[in-house]
Amino acid sequence: MSLLEVSGLNSFYGDSHVLFDVDLHVGRNEVVALLGRNGAGKSTTLKSLMGVVRPRSGHVRLDGAEIAGQPAHEIARLGMQLVHEERRIFGSLNVEENIILAGLTAPNRWPLERIYTMFPRLKERRESRGTDLSGGEQQMLAVARALVRDPKIVLLDEPFEGLAPVIVQDLMRTCRELAQAGQTIVLVEQNIAAALSLSDRVYIINNGHIAHEATPAELREAPEILQRYLGV
Amino acid sequence: MNRRHRPFVAEILTAIGLLVAPFVLRWLGVPPNTINPILIFGLLGIGFDLLFGFTGLLSFGQSAFFGSGGMVAAYVLTRTSMDNTLVALLVAAVASGVIGYLVGLVALRRTGIYFAMITVAIAEVFFFAEFNPLAHWTGGENGLPGVPTPNLRLGFTTIEFTTNEQMYWFFGACYFIGIVLALRIVRSPVGLILRAIRDNPLRASALGHNIHGYKLAVFIVAAIYTGIAGGLLGMMQGFMPPDAFKFETSGEIVMQTAIGGAGTLFGPLLGAAVWIYLSDLFKITLNLGAMWKLILGIVFVLLVMFLRRGIAGGLVDLWGLAAARLLPPRPARSGVEDAAAPPPAVLLPRARRGSGVGGPADEAPRTGTILRASDLSKRYGGIIANRNIDFEVDYGEIRGIIGPNGAGKSTFFKMLTCEVAPSSGTITFEGNDITGRDVSDVCQLGLTKSYQINQLFERLTVRQNLEIAALGVLRGTFRLDLLGSMSGVEGLDGHVAGTAALVNLTPRLDTAVSELAYGEKRRLEIGLALATAPSLLLLDEPLAGMSPGERVDTVALLKSIAKGRTMIIIDHDMDSLFELVNRVTVLQEGSILVEGTPDEIRADRRVQEAYLGGIEGESA
Amino acid sequence: MLSWGNFISQMFNGLVSGALLALIASGLTIIYGTLGVLNLAHGAMFMLGGYGGWIAYTYTGSYTVAVAAGTIFVLLVGVAMERGIIRHFYNRPPEDQLLVTFGLGIVFVEGVRLVFGSLIKMTPPPEIFRGITNLGFMVYPTYRIAALVIVVVALGALYLILYRTRIGMIVRAGIEDSTMVGSLGINVFKVFMLVFGIGAAAAGFAGIVNAPIVSIAPDVGDRYLVLTFVVVIIGGVGSFPGAVLGGLIAGQLLSLTSMIDPAYSEIVLFVAMTLVLMFRPRGLLGTAGRE
Repeated sequence: MSLLEVSGLNSFYGDSHVLFDVDLHVGRNEVVALLGRNGAGKSTTLKSLMGVVRPRSGHVRLDGAEIAGQPAHEIARLGMQLVHEERRIFGSLNVEENIILAGLTAPNRWPLERIYTMFPRLKERRESRGTDLSGGEQQMLAVARALVRDPKIVLLDEPFEGLAPVIVQDLMRTCRELAQAGQTIVLVEQNIAAALSLSDRVYIINNGHIAHEATPAELREAPEILQRYLGV
Repeated sequence: MNRRHRPFVAEILTAIGLLVAPFVLRWLGVPPNTINPILIFGLLGIGFDLLFGFTGLLSFGQSAFFGSGGMVAAYVLTRTSMDNTLVALLVAAVASGVIGYLVGLVALRRTGIYFAMITVAIAEVFFFAEFNPLAHWTGGENGLPGVPTPNLRLGFTTIEFTTNEQMYWFFGACYFIGIVLALRIVRSPVGLILRAIRDNPLRASALGHNIHGYKLAVFIVAAIYTGIAGGLLGMMQGFMPPDAFKFETSGEIVMQTAIGGAGTLFGPLLGAAVWIYLSDLFKITLNLGAMWKLILGIVFVLLVMFLRRGIAGGLVDLWGLAAARLLPPRPARSGVEDAAAPPPAVLLPRARRGSGVGGPADEAPRTGTILRASDLSKRYGGIIANRNIDFEVDYGEIRGIIGPNGAGKSTFFKMLTCEVAPSSGTITFEGNDITGRDVSDVCQLGLTKSYQINQLFERLTVRQNLEIAALGVLRGTFRLDLLGSMSGVEGLDGHVAGTAALVNLTPRLDTAVSELAYGEKRRLEIGLALATAPSLLLLDEPLAGMSPGERVDTVALLKSIAKGRTMIIIDHDMDSLFELVNRVTVLQEGSILVEGTPDEIRADRRVQEAYLGGIEGESA
Repeated sequence: MLSWGNFISQMFNGLVSGALLALIASGLTIIYGTLGVLNLAHGAMFMLGGYGGWIAYTYTGSYTVAVAAGTIFVLLVGVAMERGIIRHFYNRPPEDQLLVTFGLGIVFVEGVRLVFGSLIKMTPPPEIFRGITNLGFMVYPTYRIAALVIVVVALGALYLILYRTRIGMIVRAGIEDSTMVGSLGINVFKVFMLVFGIGAAAAGFAGIVNAPIVSIAPDVGDRYLVLTFVVVIIGGVGSFPGAVLGGLIAGQLLSLTSMIDPAYSEIVLFVAMTLVLMFRPRGLLGTAGRE
């Protein structure tokens, strides 16, 4: 059985129907990428999984437990974490407070030192308030906040967006280490090269539907598929 | 439609009600000194309902006007030689109007809870001013005694209203005039715009209405109603009590209106009746002195929780249910006439008001540049959303804008419509420099936008929505024809019918927006923008949130609209977008990457890279 | 008459009432900042604190017990109010929130009036704080000095709770972004309930501490509610430091003006509020945020 199984998921923003009968599954220790153009419904998929957007219908099973329709804090306790595209760092809290806050209700929690080993930069800036961090530091902190809860599955929404290439390289390395350590990840990313290099499997979303499923290798072989769904 | 089918029904029923009320109530054993305060609170409630129920401005400071109007009238009648009560009321009306204007200038700087807090604070100042600095004129805590009962000087004779029974007719007449005027206001174009402000102030402003002006106007109107009611209070009691200035008075007005039903005009009268009846019942009949206000408080809390539209709203809903049951094939509320009417001429007004600048389908289409943005940049704090954009669109062109996430498309659109001021650079529209202008002015000039997320007036019908948009073109940003009629707005019906036909909503004209399907709402969203008869129409993701079927329909709709118009469209659905547009501008990281025909863009390597993120760039 | 001694003692009066206002206003402002609800029953919380304390005092004769009982009582009222009613209003328009809290305020005031009558109730200061104290440069009622100290300590405690505890961390995070707090596994509804309780308790505490200075009556909170609005508008709605600054400014304006002419003190305060609205619409320490 897969760690995450999604079937017939429909989501709306107000009246606007955004996701249409989305089916997908993510195995344990797997890294799955969701690709698609802007507005295709990738972020909404992640938010619906996390319970930040409440799906109108469909099933989401995490490690066997039905989580569709549950409030976000329950889903978080069951072991899911979403790193939002906008990072949503608490600006009035300092780095360490952000991390501690995230870990407060976690059943298993990473020791702070493990976080700081992974992100030495955060250790240096542990006293700085969230508002004073650079974009890259904020992104590291957002990921750290998710990891401190030792989640079964992490959803990353465009983690590399708007970051300098050096920092993207850094974060890519971190993600790869995590994957090698067996962390299950769902990744939404516009940077297709990065997404393909990190993932084991790819779903392509188009206008709120799952349009295609493939491995990175298959997609490299058949760039016309990428062209069709993602290109111009 | 209502306004044409049942003229004066409300007025006639009110008149009949006021005429028979004293006899019915006498038969029921209700004394006239109960009914007179109900009329006074009903009258000031009309003004408050215009402010709160129709415009959405919840003021907790009406006591300032109630007290001021009352004190001014009482002062005129007791300290000057003037003893004509009508003149005193007129003076009170003017005074409270002026005070309303001044208070409105401060309070209307903010909305929502700030507005409520500011009105509370200002009213408290009036309370303190009455007691101390102005005590010489107001009698301080004694109030002004000796206010005469109402009279009517007709020149040849004078009618005095000295007993409670006689005063009833005077107050009843005042209430009747008040309700007739309020009904005119509600049915006037201004009345519709007020409801637009209540439902969606941002869109009302983007459709070319000066919402601040209208809010100030209705604030003053409410102050005048309240001030006159204050004047009547003094005449009824024979003295003007300083209690009128208390915060509790403001609270009572709010509670009575909410109990009776806001947004109904008659609700406050109903609420006042319940209020005063219960208070008499508890205090006199049941001898439960202090308890009545507690019971009313509990009733009020329960009403707010469960019966959101108050008693009058509940009655209207019941009536609707009963009518639906009794008359199963209920004719559309708008009436049969619309259905039977000949198909409307599918024409939008061609010439824009005033300037005489040619509209989109003008006889002699203009050529050249309609919009030019030069060196446009926008910074938010340290983040640069747009950088040095130079952009031009010609008359008759359909332009597409695409770009990956975060390319700055939305910010760019917001700058063009003046929702957001650029940090630097200029925007010229039809030869006018519109940089830093107000969004409503820009709409008046003929540049408007349909929104990515629907910005509709949810509590109104499709027709009313389109009327609100059309009124912006037909009346300009601000016109205070409070007593004008909708049918007096030349060309309005044709304009609305034409727009509705364009966006395929003619059969749904009298449906409430809240009942529309998403696709229909989306078409109405575009219809609102079209109804302003824009010379340049911006569409922000018109296909957002649509199912594949709806997309096909909407693309067809946009194609039909596009003929003879100038449009700029943002959308992510490139297949659909490229079908529609002549040229495409690609934004990336806040700047223009490239511009060209759809075919050129498809073939452009830089665009491919922007979208595919350099797929060969890195390999694991 | 204007004299140096008079001036100092008025400054001191201003400090006492300013600190009190700051405490009440911080309660209002953290509730608004976290939940987005403006509690028009906040004045009633102040009143309930006074009555709760007065009852406890009547039974025990202990000032300390009175303060503790009054505060805990209002904390519980606040929690119950959020749980039972306010929670159903988070998704309703702000006007409905104003109406329902306004109605609840009336229910509290009238309920108290029904049970205890309209007459004023006196809670005397504790034995050791009675009489007057010679401060060297002036003579001043001892309890007012004590009240100032107590309120400042309470403000400090509120500061410590907000800035030095995990609960405060959650509250501050919740003021910024309650959805994200939920995504991190924290039940925001529990947080909301707690914040509402703490905010109400701040007003209730002020109510009982103030009771020996100004005796209590059912409508004692009304005036404070209005003053609190002015304080948060001046300081910036949703900002704890703003509430403190606004309270201190308001206290000084009120007492210094009343030294010249008491009749104008509220008017001067209002003028100050108008000026702030004109030149800094978000308040002195307010940031961009909810409207």
